[in-house]
Amino acid sequence: MRTYAPADVASVLATILDEPSLARGVLHHAVEAAREAVTAPFPAWLDPRIVAALEGRGIDALYTHQAEALAAVRAGRDVCVVTPTASGKSLCYELPVLQALADDPSARALWLFPTKALGQDQVVAFRELATAAGLPVSASTYDGDTPAPIRSTIRAAGQVVVTNPDMLHAAILPHHTKWFQLFEQLQVIVVDELHTYRGLFGSHVANVLRRLLRLCAHYGSHPVIVTCSATIANPGELATLLSGRAPLVVDRSGAPAGERHLLFVDPPVVDAASGARGSSLTLAQRWALPFLRAGRQTIVFGRSRTAVELILTGLRETLREHAGPRSRVRGYRGGYLPTERRAIEEGLRDGEVLGVVSTNALELGVDIGRLDAAILAGYPGSIAATRQQVGRAGRRLGTSVAVIVASAAPVDQYIVHHPEFVLDQPPEEARIDPDNLHVLLAHLKAAAFELPFGPGEVFGPGPADDLLAFLAEDGHVHQGDDLRWYWSSENFPASAISLRTAAEENVVIIDTTPDRPRVIGELDLFSAQTLVHEDAIYLHEAAQFHVDHLDWDERKAYVRRVDVDHYTQADRAVTLKPLDVFAAAAAPGGSRRHGEVMVASRATLFKKLKLVTNENLGWGPIHLPEIELQTTAYWLTAEAAAPGWRRAELDVALAGAGRALQTVASVLLMVDPRDLGLVAQVRSPHDGAPTVYLYEAVPGGVGLAERLWQRHAELVDGAADLVASCGCDGGCPSCTGPRPAGGEVELDARALVLRLLAGLGARRSGSATAQPHR
Amino acid sequence: VSDVATLERRLARFRATRAAASPAEPGGPPSAAARGAELAERLAAALGGEVIGGADGLVVRVEPPSIAVPLVRERLARLPGQPGPEARLVCLDTETTGLGTAAGTLAFLIGLGWWEDDRFRRVQLVCPDHGEERALLAAVERAIPTDAWLVTYNGRGFDWPLLVTRFRLHRRAAPPHAGMLDLLPGVRRLFRHRLGDARLATVERELLGVRRHGDVGGWEIPGRYLDFIRGGPAGPLAAVLRHNAEDVASLARLLAHLDAGYADPERRALAPAGDLVALARAYTRDRRHADALGCLDDADAAWRPASLGSASWPYGAPAPAPATVSRDRIRAERARTLRRLGRTDEALATWEALAADGGNAAPRAWVEAAKVREHALRDPAGALRAAEAAARAAQRTRLRWGGDPDFEDALAGRLRRLRRRTAATISPATAG
Repeated sequence: MRTYAPADVASVLATILDEPSLARGVLHHAVEAAREAVTAPFPAWLDPRIVAALEGRGIDALYTHQAEALAAVRAGRDVCVVTPTASGKSLCYELPVLQALADDPSARALWLFPTKALGQDQVVAFRELATAAGLPVSASTYDGDTPAPIRSTIRAAGQVVVTNPDMLHAAILPHHTKWFQLFEQLQVIVVDELHTYRGLFGSHVANVLRRLLRLCAHYGSHPVIVTCSATIANPGELATLLSGRAPLVVDRSGAPAGERHLLFVDPPVVDAASGARGSSLTLAQRWALPFLRAGRQTIVFGRSRTAVELILTGLRETLREHAGPRSRVRGYRGGYLPTERRAIEEGLRDGEVLGVVSTNALELGVDIGRLDAAILAGYPGSIAATRQQVGRAGRRLGTSVAVIVASAAPVDQYIVHHPEFVLDQPPEEARIDPDNLHVLLAHLKAAAFELPFGPGEVFGPGPADDLLAFLAEDGHVHQGDDLRWYWSSENFPASAISLRTAAEENVVIIDTTPDRPRVIGELDLFSAQTLVHEDAIYLHEAAQFHVDHLDWDERKAYVRRVDVDHYTQADRAVTLKPLDVFAAAAAPGGSRRHGEVMVASRATLFKKLKLVTNENLGWGPIHLPEIELQTTAYWLTAEAAAPGWRRAELDVALAGAGRALQTVASVLLMVDPRDLGLVAQVRSPHDGAPTVYLYEAVPGGVGLAERLWQRHAELVDGAADLVASCGCDGGCPSCTGPRPAGGEVELDARALVLRLLAGLGARRSGSATAQPHR
Repeated sequence: VSDVATLERRLARFRATRAAASPAEPGGPPSAAARGAELAERLAAALGGEVIGGADGLVVRVEPPSIAVPLVRERLARLPGQPGPEARLVCLDTETTGLGTAAGTLAFLIGLGWWEDDRFRRVQLVCPDHGEERALLAAVERAIPTDAWLVTYNGRGFDWPLLVTRFRLHRRAAPPHAGMLDLLPGVRRLFRHRLGDARLATVERELLGVRRHGDVGGWEIPGRYLDFIRGGPAGPLAAVLRHNAEDVASLARLLAHLDAGYADPERRALAPAGDLVALARAYTRDRRHADALGCLDDADAAWRPASLGSASWPYGAPAPAPATVSRDRIRAERARTLRRLGRTDEALATWEALAADGGNAAPRAWVEAAKVREHALRDPAGALRAAEAAARAAQRTRLRWGGDPDFEDALAGRLRRLRRRTAATISPATAG
């Protein structure tokens, strides 16, 4: 297949499927039929200047979802727009805002984007539309990069203020009196990328919106809220939780789409005895190459930064050997500098960049146009993310291809063997818990700082008096002689709250190769422990760097360009200690609990692995301090489920069952597997029982543990299903996890896990294994 | 970060205690008005003030004894940046529950002061509780006539924006007034060369000769007030009131100091040379070049080496002002000012006199002389001679103090240009 001649997508796909070594791995091949555009005429009330601007861009009608959203906003109704990537979602809020400004230039709009970069993109696009309509509109981003002299202008005269939740929280709301023109005239609030406001971050943002709406009420404005979301199971619910108001959900897209092939691919088993599979990264490259060679724009998603760099290196090397378009294939991930990223995005839009290898950084609404092929090296961890990534492939006309390449991870195996899960199931719910006491109280303080609370005034779940009295105990607030609650402290409460608690601090990576050392990227502390420990090989833009020195206290890693044939992979040791039990109940074979735990994580040693073959070349120790995480966990004890078992058997069974439980929890309970950590203990120091813990990766937790506790029985059933229906004999990385090396006697992990789960009361439900319960 | 579990437990305990306590309360909480009145009375008693009130609520009004602060308004008005002599001046200083001007900071004490003939009268308005703020703001509004200039110390950056915030919180516009005379920037300009910092306390000590005894530290003030509104004693606030009364008095005394010491030409002559150079610059900014020249003449006359302190600007690098004022500096400023006044010959004479002294200012003085000759007197040949003198002087100063490459490059360029120009104008003459 060493042809570099341009070819269309369909014939590239046909060629690939003629190649037996690739075709064999295809477990499922679905074809989504092309969809015609469904349009509606411009509403009669739409300003003729705006209509002219749209017509000037070749738009002579609205898609039905756009028309629906426009009508709702016009009627003063909140809207939640949920349509696929690149279906013209932005117009759903751009047009109502532009119309409001055409009607009354004193109107104001506030747009929220989860990141600065997304906001900046949108401002540029909106200004272009306004200019085309001949409407003099002042639209500006207000974020950490906004120069001080411009800030006061934006406060007084900015008609469309584009910012992020962090800025709204810390800079705008506490200073609302300086923004009174905005708050008095606020007509539209836009929350784009709604689905990113999940977990702890989402819980914080919901409270920021509560504060925002409270101030609007104070200033007498009643803005409409427009939210836009990628496909998730519960956009309406999320929007309701986030804004406290139920929107009209607009989820039938009128945008056209070309035919799309969706293929589920499994790497071949290379060692039947161990169940080891070929690398998903290598296979993803093999799928990407024919498209790149044929000049088709292709995106490859890797699950980690390292995966991205490995795939990028592989693609470039192969293309170099065969004189392919090597330099037109780029990497994209967190850790690259913003200017670098902007250049790549632009290159993708204008076709200069042919291929990009990315982490989920490009899953968000960054505008990169529509591509021909999307190759997912590994299941991204959620159905919503899968749809977002798959959605990057899809021309309005013509065929596109999306390929999901499974890794050996159990979740991946589960997904490729149950494609209906991605194809037919509703995607995950995004969960937030705005009433998490910790979060709620923090924002209640900030809200009291911004404006006193009247007696009986509602904040979040109900009247806040009770909680305010609680805060008064510590002197944060004071009930005045008028019975209102006033902030009565010298502190500035917003500064004590970070909306994105996890990984605030970063390690800066400094390349010392050039005469003048330069910063090439940043990593959060947790990742830094395993990626830039001393002697690690750190990959950046497909270049290898050796970490000479990691100054942990100064948060600086000094690296140097090298060219070696290996990469490094670090191991983490995790210990867990229960601190408090919130709830406990008996369960078959033992008990189920949830509560608070302390998790300590430490990078212990690293392995040197040869590129391509993954052959182990040696190892080294890592000397870094422990990182502690106080969070919530769900755990089950199995004191009566395995009577008289040998320790070795119990060890294997607990680890395997834990792995299966973790998989089922993440797939069926709809969270990213990385949100849940696993620890199995043969004898828990807490009560001496065999125990499996699933802990939340976010400090304080976001309520997952409690939900797992409630759904204990389903979890155990699901885990048994997963293991029983796996095709392996004796357990494999895809069901019970990798086998412990050097185990005394060959233990049948699969059988042991099934016995243990049966002891825990698992009822197998035959073929209904994959059905998420809702 | 306190963790969720502990928080939940604490809240549960708190709720239980409250639930147990509430049935015991007979008629609900005490009436709001009664509580406000109680606080106001207690505060007034401790501070020696009176409770004034209206529909908006209650305020405690304290009037310390008036003091004599003579001020000659016609004279003061001659200083740069001052309002006209007819403008009404109202001094204003606030005490607050925190720094910053965000919505959660309360200005609980507003100190005001104004002249009635030579007597300076002060009135302090204190908010007895959060709920009475509307009354406080109404009283402030009544106390600020619309034609008043507000005299403050950093009021542009703090006190006034904070009051604007408080008024807006009550959905009201801040009181209109004619202008703002913030004394902080002026003090920085005039005195930074000899003050350690520009805090009001430093100004009092170094300029006004006032020393406070037993003054309350600024950091203690929010705590004393917050303690009081949470039911603590009012007594500790008396010191806060004294502190604020002194602050307001200092605004008046500072104005009087400027009036007597700097607006009066005879007294001005006694001021340190550095003050006068700075004042000259302030006049220059207002394009009052004759006044600036007068200041520089006085500075030149007042200058003596002993008067030069080594005070340096405290606000971090880079230091915006020279630590000392040299006589050369004064003369250079004079020459520039003369030039601005169109007195070209005198400007030239001043530059040349400075140059002839041969100090390390000589090279630059020769260059300035060259500029005057070339551009104002249309004398390229004279300009060339001056530039050549500059080059010789630069060579000498380089040996003694080291050279300045940028200056020397520019000078070399000037020499080349002047040589070309003189050659072009002279050669036809010699040829003819």
